[in-house]
Amino acid sequence: MATRDTPRMEFLQGTLDVLILRTLLFGPNHGHAIAKHIQRTSEDQLQVETGSLYPALHRLEGRGLVEAGWELAETGKRAKYYRLTPKGRKELQKERSKWEAFARAMGLVLNAPEEEDPA
Amino acid sequence: MRDALRRVGWLLRRRTRDAELAEELQFHLEMEARERQAAGLPADEAGLAARRDLGNPTLVAEDTRAAWGWQWVESLLQDGRYAVRNLRRAPAFATAAILSLALGIGAPTGIFSLLNGLVLRPLPVPAPEELVQLTYTLPLWETNPNNRNSWFDYPQFERLRKESRTFSGVFGGTRVGRVNLESGGAPGLAVLDAYSGNFFTVLGVRPALGRLFSEEEDQPDASVVVLSDRYWRTRFAADPAVVGRVVTINRVSFTVAGVTPPEFLGIAVGNGPDAWVPLRSLDRLAPERKERWIEPFASWLLLGGRVRAGVARRQAEAELDLVHRRVLLEQLAVSPLGREESTQRFVQASHLMLRPAAAGMHSGVRATYALPLKVLMGIAGLVLLASCANLANLLLARASSRRREIEIRQALGAGRRRIVQQLLTESSVLALLGGALAMGLACGSSALLVRVISTGDTPMSIDLSPDTKVLAFSALATFLAAGLFGVAPALRASRGSRSGMRTGSRQTGQGSRVLDRGLIVAQVALSVALVAGAGLFVRTFQNLWGIDPGFQRDDVLMFSVDAKLAGYGSDQERTAALYGEILRRMRGMPGVRSAGVSIVRPVDDQFYLIDRVNEIDGRALAQRDTIKVAWNAVSHGYFDTVATPILLGRDIQAGDDATAPKVVVVNQSFANRAFPNENPIGHRIGLTTIVGVVKDSLYNGMRDEPRPVLYYSIFQHGREQGFRWGFVSYELRSVGGVNLGEQVRREVEAVDRSLPLFRVRTLKVQMAQSLLKEQLLAMLSSFFGGVALLLACIGLYGLIAYNVARRIPEIGIRTALGAPRRHLFWLIQREALLLTLAGVALGVPAAMLGAGYTKSLLFEVAPSDPLTLVTAAVLLLSVALVAGYAPLRRALRMDPASALRCE
Repeated sequence: MATRDTPRMEFLQGTLDVLILRTLLFGPNHGHAIAKHIQRTSEDQLQVETGSLYPALHRLEGRGLVEAGWELAETGKRAKYYRLTPKGRKELQKERSKWEAFARAMGLVLNAPEEEDPA
Repeated sequence: MRDALRRVGWLLRRRTRDAELAEELQFHLEMEARERQAAGLPADEAGLAARRDLGNPTLVAEDTRAAWGWQWVESLLQDGRYAVRNLRRAPAFATAAILSLALGIGAPTGIFSLLNGLVLRPLPVPAPEELVQLTYTLPLWETNPNNRNSWFDYPQFERLRKESRTFSGVFGGTRVGRVNLESGGAPGLAVLDAYSGNFFTVLGVRPALGRLFSEEEDQPDASVVVLSDRYWRTRFAADPAVVGRVVTINRVSFTVAGVTPPEFLGIAVGNGPDAWVPLRSLDRLAPERKERWIEPFASWLLLGGRVRAGVARRQAEAELDLVHRRVLLEQLAVSPLGREESTQRFVQASHLMLRPAAAGMHSGVRATYALPLKVLMGIAGLVLLASCANLANLLLARASSRRREIEIRQALGAGRRRIVQQLLTESSVLALLGGALAMGLACGSSALLVRVISTGDTPMSIDLSPDTKVLAFSALATFLAAGLFGVAPALRASRGSRSGMRTGSRQTGQGSRVLDRGLIVAQVALSVALVAGAGLFVRTFQNLWGIDPGFQRDDVLMFSVDAKLAGYGSDQERTAALYGEILRRMRGMPGVRSAGVSIVRPVDDQFYLIDRVNEIDGRALAQRDTIKVAWNAVSHGYFDTVATPILLGRDIQAGDDATAPKVVVVNQSFANRAFPNENPIGHRIGLTTIVGVVKDSLYNGMRDEPRPVLYYSIFQHGREQGFRWGFVSYELRSVGGVNLGEQVRREVEAVDRSLPLFRVRTLKVQMAQSLLKEQLLAMLSSFFGGVALLLACIGLYGLIAYNVARRIPEIGIRTALGAPRRHLFWLIQREALLLTLAGVALGVPAAMLGAGYTKSLLFEVAPSDPLTLVTAAVLLLSVALVAGYAPLRRALRMDPASALRCE
């Protein structure tokens, strides 16, 4: 029961959301393309699972950070396209600086020169 | 808020969204497969790989759906369905619960909807909060400095209207009253108001049909009439061609200009007219009072207005007060009245004040019924509490019988929260069903109440259509009820079975029954308070009804006619001849024992006349010795008809007409006051000579104290001033209660076809109507008290039945051992009786406290009336005994052997 309420993801909580928002920054896209884009730009480091992607997309839509509409995809089929809303844009900026600060802090700690030998 | 709306939107498009989600995932699959194909996999393998990659599609879909955020709604709907199924399996319980809730919620809602219509509801016009009524302090003889007068003279109105800057408009008007509106030769009664031309424009009322009048109609030849929606529907069958039609009002012709919208019922709640004419058309309707336009200190106009947006009421008040006082001082200088000391005192102290009129201007109906309705509201609220306590009890009993079901569900892994939610859903479903039924009940009952309190010839104009306030109120009552009766049982049911599956034991810990007992005590206490309250109101009504009215109320029919309605105008000669002719015919009618005519009806609280006697036998009385009197003018046969005994001297006689010396009959109170220890016969009051003394009788309604009354001869006095009021009232005593209604109508028609009868009713009915408020309180509080008693009965029955069931083995053993019945009786009844006593002990002081607030509604009975309180207590104790009868009988009749086997 408990596992169902929280989407199983290999990302840190909230990471996927920021990545999705970032992906949508320069234009609307459908779920599959978003996943592929994240995968590609992370040099295949980040695998986006469908089971996490769609709940995340719908959650973002529910929070009003993205909006969705149906358009014809390049294959000629109808696909659901997600687009960043102004609210989403603001959220992205906020989250992004948070993540950058976090990453910098992580980097500082992990790369700190060892001061003492544990011996 | 936006989020919530979005969620609701999603919920409504659930199906579409499900389909869309499926399509979205399908698209993903296809894209995935294409990619793999592009990478060189064969088509079928690519599809399989894509599917594998996606994982369990149902799970993905479900996870995604969870992100939509309305899972809770889903489970709520599921719980709701389950609850409905459960209730259908216990139809008796469900019916009892829903009915008691419908009553519990419906009673306060019905009364609230009436209270809302009467007191709270804003007028259906734009920006009603800007509307005010103009009033001024009346420092003359009133002891209460807050007493205000709302009646102005015309010159004041003109000046206020012209000189105000803070108002976007000031309008003035008055009730013309009952008129005869003839259309196509058919006479018909209508209640008419006359208002200045700007009335509708200042209010912002738009016509539903035709046009309403405007300031162009502030002309002496104004001749348009505007009909109310209700009158248009009842009288003209909603005929749109009525606009432009010529009708006559009291034989003066008018053109129908338009019809007001249905929601506009006038500006005085409950007293809305049937039609409006421009104020200046009074010149045509009642030409004899031309001086009204210039007369100072004459009070006949109600003034209202709309304060300009953004102007504070205080500022507007200050401005108008200046104008008001300036005009008063000017009037003082030029009017002969200005020389009188009282006038000067008045002008010195008078101040104009504004009264908020968003919910309408001052209304007599509102003044009469606001307090009784508030009291009834409180009573109905207590009934709601009682029915909640009762339901909580029922649910507790039900919960213990459902323990197994709950235990099984818990064993299957349902959490406590889930179980509580389920049980609460069930009580909410009950509350919702009860609430829905209550709404219907409330609408019907409040409309019925309006009919009951309408003493005129048509129902009162009160808008009862449910508005947001009423809906919010009933919703609140429903949820409150669901919470009140649902929470405790649900919590307990889920807690009681924590220890998991149990054996089928009946025993319950004593501690857990504190709640049931508390509920019973509360219920009894509420019932005592309600029954005692009902008792007080019933006794008030009885006391009033039992007063000796000073006449015989049976077999007397009364009706009124008004010569003005048939175009007699102010011709007193013709009017007197008409009234005399009708009286002659009435006296000649078969089945009529005696008949009379008077200006004021007996027990009339709607119209009466007051005067002051300043001199007796030509000698002026000292200021403090003047006598405030009520007066009437009656014909020969009047005292005979209403059976008021003549104590001294003689009756008014047929010969006391215009040519004879002027006579007056006085009542006992006047005689005692003016001539203590002296025979009043032969003394003179003004130009009249006292010829008789009659017994005191009720004059102005049943609550009236005996007061000094003068009875003039109608055919002497009428010509001088009596017929100025237009209408007179006929009283007929029939032989053994013959119904004279139709016969009377025919006779009057034979005299003048265009003379409508109104207020046709018996003296008894009229007396009852003057006690309507009291009757209403007595009736409704008795009804509510009865409901509370019934609920207490059900609650106590449940308790005792439970006690019996619990103690079957014990009873069996005791019976087998030959215990006397008395012991068994006490064994079973003890708890119920003790709890009832506890409830009585709480309820009695509560009743006294509550009744203290309603003191002004009581008559010759104290809020702490011991008889009423003791009766209520005894009633509740007997209810406890009666409730125990059936289970007790069952227990006593039981075969001891089978009782033992039960265990």
